[in-house]
Amino acid sequence: MTCPEIKSWTLNRLSHPDLSWISKIQVNQPAVLRRAEQIQARRTVKKEWQAAWLLKAVTFIDLTTLSGDDTSSNIQRLCYKAKYPVREDLLKTLNMHDKGLTTAAVCVYPARVCDAVRALKAAGCTIPVASVATGFPAGQTHLKTRLEEIRLAVEDGATEIDVVINRTLVLTGQWEGSDFIKTSTGKETVNATFPVAIVMLRAIRDFFWKTGNKVGFKPAGGIRSAKDSLAWLSLVKEELGDEWLTPDLFRIGASTLLSDIERQIYHHVTGRYAAYHDLPMS
Amino acid sequence: MAATRAKPSAREIFTTLEYGPVPESHACALAWLDTQDRHLGHYVNGKWLKPEHRNSVPCQDPITGESLATCLQAQAEDVVAAVGAAGTAFENWSGLPGASRAQHLLRLAKMIQKHQRLLWTLESLVTGRAVREVRDGDVPLAQQLLQYHAVQAYTQEEVLAGWEPMGVIGLILSPTFSFLEMMWRICPALAVGCTVVVLVPPASPTPLLLAQLAGELGSFPGILNVISGPASLGPVLASQPRVQKVIFCGAVEEGRALRRTLAGKGAELGLALGAESLLMLTEAADVDSAVEGVVDAAWSDRSTGGLRLLIQESVWDETMRRVQERMARLRGGRGLDGAVDMGARGAAAHDLAQRYVREARSQGAQVFQAGDVPSDSPFFPPTLVSDLPPASPCTQAEVPWPVVVASPFRTAKEALAVANGTPRGASASVWSERLGQALELGYGLRVGTVWINAHGLRNTEVPTGGCKESGSSWSGGPDGLYEYLRPSGTPARLSYFSENLNYDTFGLAVPSTLPAGPEIGPSPATPYGLLIGGRFQAPGARSSRPIQDARGNLHGYVAEGGAKDIRGAVEAAHQAAPGWVGQSPGARATLLWALATALERREAALASRLERHGVELRDAKVEVELSARQLRAWGARAQAQGHVLQVAGLKGPVLRLREPLGVLAIVCPDEWPLLAFVSLLAAALAHGNTVVLVPSGACPIPALELCQDMAALLPAGLVNVVTGDRDHLTRCLALHQDVQALWYFGSAQGSQFVEWASAGNLKPVWVNRGCPRAWDQEAKGAGRELGLRAARTKALWLPMGD
Repeated sequence: MTCPEIKSWTLNRLSHPDLSWISKIQVNQPAVLRRAEQIQARRTVKKEWQAAWLLKAVTFIDLTTLSGDDTSSNIQRLCYKAKYPVREDLLKTLNMHDKGLTTAAVCVYPARVCDAVRALKAAGCTIPVASVATGFPAGQTHLKTRLEEIRLAVEDGATEIDVVINRTLVLTGQWEGSDFIKTSTGKETVNATFPVAIVMLRAIRDFFWKTGNKVGFKPAGGIRSAKDSLAWLSLVKEELGDEWLTPDLFRIGASTLLSDIERQIYHHVTGRYAAYHDLPMS
Repeated sequence: MAATRAKPSAREIFTTLEYGPVPESHACALAWLDTQDRHLGHYVNGKWLKPEHRNSVPCQDPITGESLATCLQAQAEDVVAAVGAAGTAFENWSGLPGASRAQHLLRLAKMIQKHQRLLWTLESLVTGRAVREVRDGDVPLAQQLLQYHAVQAYTQEEVLAGWEPMGVIGLILSPTFSFLEMMWRICPALAVGCTVVVLVPPASPTPLLLAQLAGELGSFPGILNVISGPASLGPVLASQPRVQKVIFCGAVEEGRALRRTLAGKGAELGLALGAESLLMLTEAADVDSAVEGVVDAAWSDRSTGGLRLLIQESVWDETMRRVQERMARLRGGRGLDGAVDMGARGAAAHDLAQRYVREARSQGAQVFQAGDVPSDSPFFPPTLVSDLPPASPCTQAEVPWPVVVASPFRTAKEALAVANGTPRGASASVWSERLGQALELGYGLRVGTVWINAHGLRNTEVPTGGCKESGSSWSGGPDGLYEYLRPSGTPARLSYFSENLNYDTFGLAVPSTLPAGPEIGPSPATPYGLLIGGRFQAPGARSSRPIQDARGNLHGYVAEGGAKDIRGAVEAAHQAAPGWVGQSPGARATLLWALATALERREAALASRLERHGVELRDAKVEVELSARQLRAWGARAQAQGHVLQVAGLKGPVLRLREPLGVLAIVCPDEWPLLAFVSLLAAALAHGNTVVLVPSGACPIPALELCQDMAALLPAGLVNVVTGDRDHLTRCLALHQDVQALWYFGSAQGSQFVEWASAGNLKPVWVNRGCPRAWDQEAKGAGRELGLRAARTKALWLPMGD
């Protein structure tokens, strides 16, 4: 299994839930692997449906840059792209230009939250800034500094925090509550995979059935192609249903995915494959 | 279905996030039909055969009703022509080295690869099945089947030495079976050197296309011939003198009727009947994955039948909720849509499902239907039936596609009793994360295939077949090859059908016997009675039959057994069965060896008994000696049963188990009265069966002599020996529904009767057709044929992963 991560607006909402049922859950790995294979082969969308689904996928993206060399200039470019994810003329052809299409959020390191908030404000964009925090990506720092990190990021204007959970606690069976669960940090050797996602989505559904609380889901890492993003959408649709297909409950953490989606939209609208320079960079 | 509505805009879809049509073009299928001027005949001897003055039926798109082509209906003379072509081709084909046949099969695999799009679009177009399943499942598997069997052909001379191809094989497919079922059977048949005539139902172009692809390879045109015609041609095909074996895939009642029709005819009959499967979901299961198993089994267009779903009571509510939730997400529609789970199966399947559901409802069942499926015929929504009263007719009937009948169970033991309590025995899956429980259930299920925590997996290397009324014809793996082989030197099977045999009266009356003169037996006299349940009992009729020696003098009296004695013997055998099955092969071997020693101790007495029946003393001694050797040999062979298969694409093993047939009845031949009795007995016991034996009619006394040792050494009821009028006893055994297999070595009429009567519970039968057998020769007396027939195969799939 990959490294799990939790996205949280309100940490520890469930401080002492009765989670004994979790220990009774059975997961059969070979069966889950088969399901993961099937789900990709059984649901495809073409033409108008593909275009609409891809645009929908855009609204789920946490447009992310998590590089050591991030500066205010590339953060600014990222925020602009988040505000205008697909070329205006393409949206016009699809009659989607008045929908105010943006990505779901931008996601940056804590030190870049200020830059992102400023850039979004300048662009007149109200989407949230998410920050990874708490010793990302390993999470192996002291609780005190991790909490301080969150406090500072929130002070800078981050409204969503992607928390790396303490895997020492997980491996010893002590779970934490959250609003969102994430497949991984995106920095591991294995990141978002379908089998892992299936198990997580089924857990989300079980939790909803038991408690009435809807927990969100965010795959991150390695989702680069438009086709991948469609598979993720249909996976959520199949396992949880349409009510989870909203940015409040579903995000895709990605950095290069958006440009591939835009290329596919370009192809759908024009019937041609786009050259590199046809689409603005992020 | 989305396609039937006005096409929505991207803007609308952005809000609804619905799925849209993913149409697969079937232009190439239509183009192929055009090459035949939309008029299909039969494909015989590498050429299209379009005889004049035949009826034709339309081949329609099952969804639109649009006429795609017309198909000629074969008549008897077309069948004769096809069998003739296959017969001629057999002379060449069977004589080839295995390596050459392997080459040819590989060329056919390549041919399929080159035309795969045509294959999958044509199949989906005319059958209505989801194209995804045909494209991603059936077509690659068809190629793998050819490749696997090419390898088998290549190694045939070495691995299958002592066996030869049977000859012309007739394959009869009923409408619900796809072209893949044909591939499962023609590949092994062709590989071992047989040639095939396939009778497909009218309006099934895919098998014809496959025959054309095979024919266009140029060489060996007549090895695969496909004719399309009504089911009534089945017996015509089966009765052709050159046809040595007939495989029938279809409904149980049709199979039963064919079994009766073919009694006494030349061809051997293999049956693969019904399509219902079973899924057992325990409280220790990964319920979500098990629900996917239900989808795989019933609602994914993989299987042609319905599903019986057994759910442990403690997880009943949770499971039903999940199944229903999952059903709502299923999509049905035109098969050629790449994103549907279920296509349509034509009007007949629709009506069958509708009738079943209506009846279930009237018998008090709850019916739940869901899914995004067009409401008009021929589509039928995924259907979940529950609360069906246990005794209602629907519970007994076969569940049709796409219906799942759910019922609860309390304990694993009860689940096993419910699962084994049907006449069907094809396949089942067990869902439990507890290893011990899963294996216990997997071993306990009386079916041909068991998957643990999976459903519907198939692989070329794993034998697939069934037991009970699902028929015992096998395909795939080594078992699939033996279906088309016989021991070298076996004469061709010819019809021995007797018009005069009256099934109603054969063996009905027991001849009355009178005292037959002075009794001059050697002393001590053999014990008198029938060996039933471990002790000698007087026959129910309280009468005896005299046994004469070679000179016509009275040798002694044996008990005159009857119907009641057979009933008692079968009951005793059933009671002994669990204990004997539970014995290790080692323990079985020990007992057989002990019996061999006991037999040797009686050598003098046995030899003199045989001598009185006209056997030379030297030969009699040899017979006794060989008999002891048989017991030891089978005892030793009992040690090595079954093996593990490694399957591509599956992590974990597949166990090929050899399980006992159950209660096996054996009517022993008159020739070699001791040796044949012992050989048959030893093979049966070594494989874990319990037996009811009818010894030689003319010379039963040596067998009875041995019964004294068996009564002393063996567990009670393991071996039961009934003497009496052979025709009468044969009748009782053949008509007994709880006898699980029957071997008959006697008259031609008796053989014909046994074949006819076995249709009752479709028990596997082995008859000698009135021909004596050389029991002293290795191949016939102790050969692998005996071992093959003494047990049945079960494939147990054990996928692994953490």
